[in-house]
Amino acid sequence: MLEARDFEKTFALEHGQLKAVDGLSFHVSPGEVYGLMGPNGAGKTTTLRMILGLLEPDAGYAQIDGFRTSEDPDSVKARLGFVSASDGVYPWLSVREMLLYFADLYAVEPAVASERLEMLAELMRITPLLDRRAGALSTGQRQRVTLVRGLIHDPPVMLLDEPTRGLDVVGSQTIFEYIAHLRTVGKAVVVCTHRLDEAERLCDRFGLLHHGCLRYEGTLEELRQQTDKKTLVEMFVELLGEPTPAGSVGHAV
Amino acid sequence: MPAPSGRLARLCRKELKETLRDRRTIITLVLMPLLIYPLLSMTLNRFLVSATAEAPTTYMLQADTGEHAEFLSFIIDDPRSTPPEAIRDTAPDLPLAKFEYYAGGEVSPMENLRAGRIHVAAKVVESSPRQLVFTALQGNAASQQARRILVERTQWYNAAVAREQLENLSGQAVPPALEVSTHEIEGESSTPLLATVVPLMLVLMTITGAVYPAIDLTAGERERGTIEAVIASPVPRGSILFAKYIAVVTVAMLTAVVNLFAMFVTLWTGGLMELLLGKDAPFPWLEICQVLVLLVLFSGFFSAVLLALTSFARSFKEAQAYLIPLMLLSLAPGVLSLLPGIELTGPLAVVPLVNIILLTREVLSGTVPTVPAIAAIVSTIAYAAAALGIAARLFGSDAVLRGSELSIGSMFARPEKPRAVPTVSAAMMTMAILFPIYFVASNGLSLLAPETMAGRLVVNAVALILLFGGIPLLVALVSKDRLRSTFRLFPATAGSLVGAFLMGLGLWAFAFEAILFAETLGIRALDTSNVALAQDAKEKMQQLSPWLLLATFALTPGVIEELCYRGYLFAALQRRLRPLRTIIVCAVVFGLFHVLTGNVLRVERFIPSTFVGLALGWVSWRAGSIYPAMVLHFTHDALLMLVIRYEKWLQVSGLDVDSEQHLPLMVLIPAGLGVAVGVGLVQWTARRPEHDRSLVSTDPPPLAEEG
Repeated sequence: MLEARDFEKTFALEHGQLKAVDGLSFHVSPGEVYGLMGPNGAGKTTTLRMILGLLEPDAGYAQIDGFRTSEDPDSVKARLGFVSASDGVYPWLSVREMLLYFADLYAVEPAVASERLEMLAELMRITPLLDRRAGALSTGQRQRVTLVRGLIHDPPVMLLDEPTRGLDVVGSQTIFEYIAHLRTVGKAVVVCTHRLDEAERLCDRFGLLHHGCLRYEGTLEELRQQTDKKTLVEMFVELLGEPTPAGSVGHAV
Repeated sequence: MPAPSGRLARLCRKELKETLRDRRTIITLVLMPLLIYPLLSMTLNRFLVSATAEAPTTYMLQADTGEHAEFLSFIIDDPRSTPPEAIRDTAPDLPLAKFEYYAGGEVSPMENLRAGRIHVAAKVVESSPRQLVFTALQGNAASQQARRILVERTQWYNAAVAREQLENLSGQAVPPALEVSTHEIEGESSTPLLATVVPLMLVLMTITGAVYPAIDLTAGERERGTIEAVIASPVPRGSILFAKYIAVVTVAMLTAVVNLFAMFVTLWTGGLMELLLGKDAPFPWLEICQVLVLLVLFSGFFSAVLLALTSFARSFKEAQAYLIPLMLLSLAPGVLSLLPGIELTGPLAVVPLVNIILLTREVLSGTVPTVPAIAAIVSTIAYAAAALGIAARLFGSDAVLRGSELSIGSMFARPEKPRAVPTVSAAMMTMAILFPIYFVASNGLSLLAPETMAGRLVVNAVALILLFGGIPLLVALVSKDRLRSTFRLFPATAGSLVGAFLMGLGLWAFAFEAILFAETLGIRALDTSNVALAQDAKEKMQQLSPWLLLATFALTPGVIEELCYRGYLFAALQRRLRPLRTIIVCAVVFGLFHVLTGNVLRVERFIPSTFVGLALGWVSWRAGSIYPAMVLHFTHDALLMLVIRYEKWLQVSGLDVDSEQHLPLMVLIPAGLGVAVGVGLVQWTARRPEHDRSLVSTDPPPLAEEG
């Protein structure tokens, strides 16, 4: 379903350069939740942004349904849903207006969009909020609206960037339910998160990123075999303790 | 995926809803004009009423005694003291001035005059003939006027009495020495007040209206956290930006319309409309329609420019910081429209903003020149489209979305390690700082410079060294730029130096032809009033030592301007731009700075200066060094100086150069040969311009930083 192939990205800093992603490849199947894990600065968000077309990769591409970001970025964009903890709303539009606007951006027919909106609103329990001004929503309500926004065009692939950041238990629980729903309806899901305990419960497979490289990949069981560690936390601690191999994954090039 | 028209309309509607529902938009849109205009009208009313108050027709007069007052009244009321028909015809609407006699009581006429209770204090000295002394209050127009009328009346009286006496003596009618009658013709109509005020108002109103939505719909989108979701959608950025543009234009126009309406009502109810349109003018339907059409042009232009600027900003605060200079810059051409003599002709028709301001003035004065008007409209649409294109590229671009470490503030930070060449932003900032300083300095110098020509030349040269040499040097030192590579002080081959010298010998002829070419485009070198000044300056220069002329007019600009343009600016630009673009940008900046001399815009200097700038840029690039450019610049300027210095000698030798005619072939051919040989020498003997390219690798090694 989603395939990322040989992604590379180097940023020019004021002094020198930073290789944020270095030859990253992975794939996610329909109905599978893939956890893209790693410490701060590992390249998770950069990878998601390259898939989304927000950043131009130096090399590599993402492919969905045979469409490649390098050749037909708009067709890839149309098949992607994206939710991030830092997502905002248009404060002066009603929730309905805002969600229909996003449906429009994805060229969903207005009639289809309205129908879908009602269905998703029911699912995420935001029906009473639909005609409220988006700026007047609470954090939890805003989060659920954002989750609906990501799905309004029914994309086959969902990318979630730190979806539980800044949320309380109830908010986090909503996210878990959402991801479970995505799995049941056959979406390919990529989740970037720091919450390793949650990830262990949620994800079917993991990719452990460090310095822009995929260091380990597989199911939790496979990772345990590869690393000789029991939990993701232990694997991370070991990963962070590693010296930076010169040349291959270094920051400065 | 192109956005179909129905969807585009929906996108526009969303942007409009979003911005019109925002209370802050409503405040700028409706409340401000409702508050401002009554206040403005009150001030304006006070000012205009006092400025245009009609002169009084009755004046207060106090004589030193009651008897003298009676005597004065007898003279002034005598029909012989009234002005003759010919004088009264010049102002048929004005009644004859009347004088009332102030009974001062104990208070002396002088005290009453000082206290403003009377207009004139009169004293009668009993002698033969009687002397009348009229005293007026200094600086008081009505008092001065009253005194003038009194003096005139007594003169008419004197003349009439003298004539009567002569007739009595001779026993026959005495014909007047002169018969006088008066007539009036209409002069050229001056620009009506409306045409002067409206352009400035349009600038202010459209900017006021467009600023907030422009920031809110671009930088605000990032601040709200909605930009990523929008950019991640498969709609082209151009469509998103276009929808935002329509919203900004709409709000800008609405604001301007509300403003104009409020202004109009205020003027109408305040009775000030007469002042703007003239007495008995019909209701200004035509002007209102014209202003509304021009409004589209102003809103379209400003909305695009504002969007381009705000799309670059990462936050509201940053966007506002970008907009303040734009607003100040926009007011300058607005004020231009107030100046008489500046017209919508030649290059001014395509200067952004200046052209539409002048167009507005011409439209409202009823004198629209067709071709420049079309040029102004077309170029403005082109500028708006270009600005929108830039906005679409910037909106949500990598750097903006990533929250790049390179902030505006970092431009002022001192780097830790020395740099080979200045950054483009630093160079642009330096040029931006140089421009106003140079403007102020050149204005100041023209006021403060010493009287003598020699003194002025030396002061100018010192100013040039301090500004164009000193400022880039200072910036380079503060930014730790290596001076050798920053000012491109690399060795040049002897061949390139000789080639540059030969080019300098011949180039003036082509620069001269460029001036003629500029004239064919309608850019006049000097108008008649300036020709005399230029001639005067030339004659003074011919008295001076040729060494002083060479030092101030050739050596100083040759060295200092090259260090600035082909050194500092060139080195910075070359890092980012291709050689050809670097040469062109440097030449255009060089040309623009030459347009500005003191308080006069010498537009005609742009083409020849840019042309010479191109040659200097090429030589400097080809040779990979600043020195051949210095040689070329010096030779070129020196030759021009010497031609002026020895003009008379040249005329005697039959080598007169008429400034109106194309150069004769006997001059053009050797000049062309000189340039051709020079170009050849520079081309073939110069080292490959590797010096400059090697700069990139001399940058400090990259640092390891946390991502």
